[in-house]
Amino acid sequence: MNLRSLSRPKALGLLLTAFVAVIAIQMIRIQTSTHAAYLDKWAQNYGVEVRTVQSERGYIYDRWGHLLAGNKEVYEIGAELQYVKNPASIASAVSTLFGVNYDATYDAAKLVYEPGNMVYVTLADFVTSDKLEELINLKKQYEAANPYGENPDLPSLRGLTWTAHLQRTYPENELASNILGFYTYYDRETGKGYFGVEEEYNELLSGTKQKVVIKLDPYEMQEIPSAPAAASLVLTIDREIQRSVETILNNAVTKNKAANGTIIVMDPETGEILAMAATPRFNPNNYWTYGDVFTAGISFNKAVSQVYEPGSVFKVLTMAAALDTNTVKPTTEFVDTGVIEVGGWEIYNWDRSAWGRQTMVGCMQHSLNVCLSWIATQLGPTSFYDYLNRFGIGHRTNIDLAGEEVYPLSQPDDPTWYTINLATNSFGQGVAVTPIQMVMAASAFANDGKMVVPHVLKAYIQDGQQFSTATKIAGAPVTAATAYTLTEMLAVSLEEEASDALVEGYRVAGKTGTAEIAVNGQYSSYATNASFVGWGPVDDPKFIVYVWLEKPKSSIWGSIVAAPVFRDVVKQLVVLMNIPPDDQRFTLQAQ
Amino acid sequence: MTQSNERTPRKTHRTRAKVNLTQAFRQAPWRNQVQFVGLFLLALVVVVLVASVYLSISGRAAAAGLHAYSYSLERQDLERAIADHKSQIANLTSSAVMEQRAKDAGFERIDPSQAVYVLVPGYAGRQPVVLAAPPGVSNSGISLVKSAYRQSLWDWMFSGINRLSDSVGGSTQ
Repeated sequence: MNLRSLSRPKALGLLLTAFVAVIAIQMIRIQTSTHAAYLDKWAQNYGVEVRTVQSERGYIYDRWGHLLAGNKEVYEIGAELQYVKNPASIASAVSTLFGVNYDATYDAAKLVYEPGNMVYVTLADFVTSDKLEELINLKKQYEAANPYGENPDLPSLRGLTWTAHLQRTYPENELASNILGFYTYYDRETGKGYFGVEEEYNELLSGTKQKVVIKLDPYEMQEIPSAPAAASLVLTIDREIQRSVETILNNAVTKNKAANGTIIVMDPETGEILAMAATPRFNPNNYWTYGDVFTAGISFNKAVSQVYEPGSVFKVLTMAAALDTNTVKPTTEFVDTGVIEVGGWEIYNWDRSAWGRQTMVGCMQHSLNVCLSWIATQLGPTSFYDYLNRFGIGHRTNIDLAGEEVYPLSQPDDPTWYTINLATNSFGQGVAVTPIQMVMAASAFANDGKMVVPHVLKAYIQDGQQFSTATKIAGAPVTAATAYTLTEMLAVSLEEEASDALVEGYRVAGKTGTAEIAVNGQYSSYATNASFVGWGPVDDPKFIVYVWLEKPKSSIWGSIVAAPVFRDVVKQLVVLMNIPPDDQRFTLQAQ
Repeated sequence: MTQSNERTPRKTHRTRAKVNLTQAFRQAPWRNQVQFVGLFLLALVVVVLVASVYLSISGRAAAAGLHAYSYSLERQDLERAIADHKSQIANLTSSAVMEQRAKDAGFERIDPSQAVYVLVPGYAGRQPVVLAAPPGVSNSGISLVKSAYRQSLWDWMFSGINRLSDSVGGSTQ
């Protein structure tokens, strides 16, 4: 063909036709090339990604918004076998920096790459960001000295990769650990909350977990689904009160050489637990030490999981029942001869003395078993146990903490009940309760006769909204008048006794308790449970405090070891809760 | 064009004239070639233009898809970073740390007898934390990506037609 004979339009047409033809030929060539089959297979394998989408575990805050449980970023270290150049370098670096076994790491890193089968191995996990920084720097150094890891005689960390993920963390460490429980974060697939709030609200905190198919073809990519945020919890706990109470409890246990101790602080109007401390405690960040701390027979949270014979603190329930039924009045007199026979058994006072003529206030002040046994007999078993049931004895409080225990209340219809039980139960022996049961029962006296259900959840946050929990009334076992009368009687008895529980400037009501512990079927006179239950200020109670020291050795008496603990707690409480002394409060209220 | 010349001579003469006229307006062969090549090129250019537009839009769609994927990964990174920062702040302001800082700064725990209380009119006292809005209308199910970014041209066109027909139908009622 003579090029000269081509006109310019023809030449342009030929050029464009050739251009289009080249494109068409190239397209056909790509579609029919040997690589096309490989690309098709690759697209089938990697065209979609199946990813597990899981909500971040919800946060736990105290009532003021301080974080008690959150999540921190950590890293999984692994090797992409296809790119590994020097397994020995990888094993050396990982074992040195993260303390894992060298041989196991080396064996893993030198595995042969098998497409679709063996492509990646995990070498270490839960590596903190500062440790990862060291690894990154080391990798950079090696890379600078040995680019692309081509020299096998020089170290290289080629193929070493890291992936970020979250780990449960408790910034306050041991603080409130008995309430929080723990989350087994090392089980990344099957982690679960255990004990306390973590177990009770595990479903809310976990959120959702689902597998989603994500198309990796850019033309088909859509909005990648994400799991909705899990619920976060706002607890009723006050971090500062909790810390103060834990410190006081630790000191009391150490000072009195007690086996263990428990303190509960609750708002009697709402049932909100402000603090709940128990020993032993542990750091939930190191939850695998659980077995070392909580050996056989030791409850995770004795405040809700440990039943015990409360002793004389139980007398407040007996006296309340008697007052409420008009069986006695504060001024009713009883002549204490030092012994009373009930059901063929003799009951004695704690000091085996006769205290003579006593009013009911005196009976409570001196904690006279004989007097309270007499009151129980005057009430009669039907009325007495009816009141105990009303106070929730033998029933769960349904506090929102995992692991609540209850001991059944033996009653007249039960084969295990004997007439003597009426007397011993009246002063808190032969009956077992948890501290939280006693707190709930006593809340009736500090809340106009209405008993509130204790709880630790103040609100939860879900879908960007905060839902508050409401106060639950568990019943009104006594009238408001009975509650005032009993409170006044107990306040007077503390004042006349010059109890160690008294706090300068604040009028409080309360009762000590010393319960002998049964050892080998017989009550021991040297092993006791020392308790104190009290509330205040008497005219408008804002707190109820329960103290239990287990087997104190400095003294066996609740009035000596538990009452001062109550005082120490109240001294901190009135400051942290901004409760002015009574006289100042009356003056301010009058303004 | 064909003409019959079998009727009359007069008619034949007229037909000849017409043939001559037709011949006078016939395109030169080179012009026909130019027209053909021009039309072919025009069609080719249109095809190339359509293909270019298609490629451009496809490329942009693919890029948008990749961006969406990378933004999703970035969002996950940010969520992890936020969680980590919250924990770091909590560590730095934990009760033990704050108490130590207070002690270092010369503060000490107050005795109840030392406290001075003042009545502040209108002050309800310290209120528990509110970390989120109270219950109301939930908008968690609404997609963050606007429909304009998820519709094809056809979807958009048909939805527009539907809207138009709805509005017309509405006006006749």
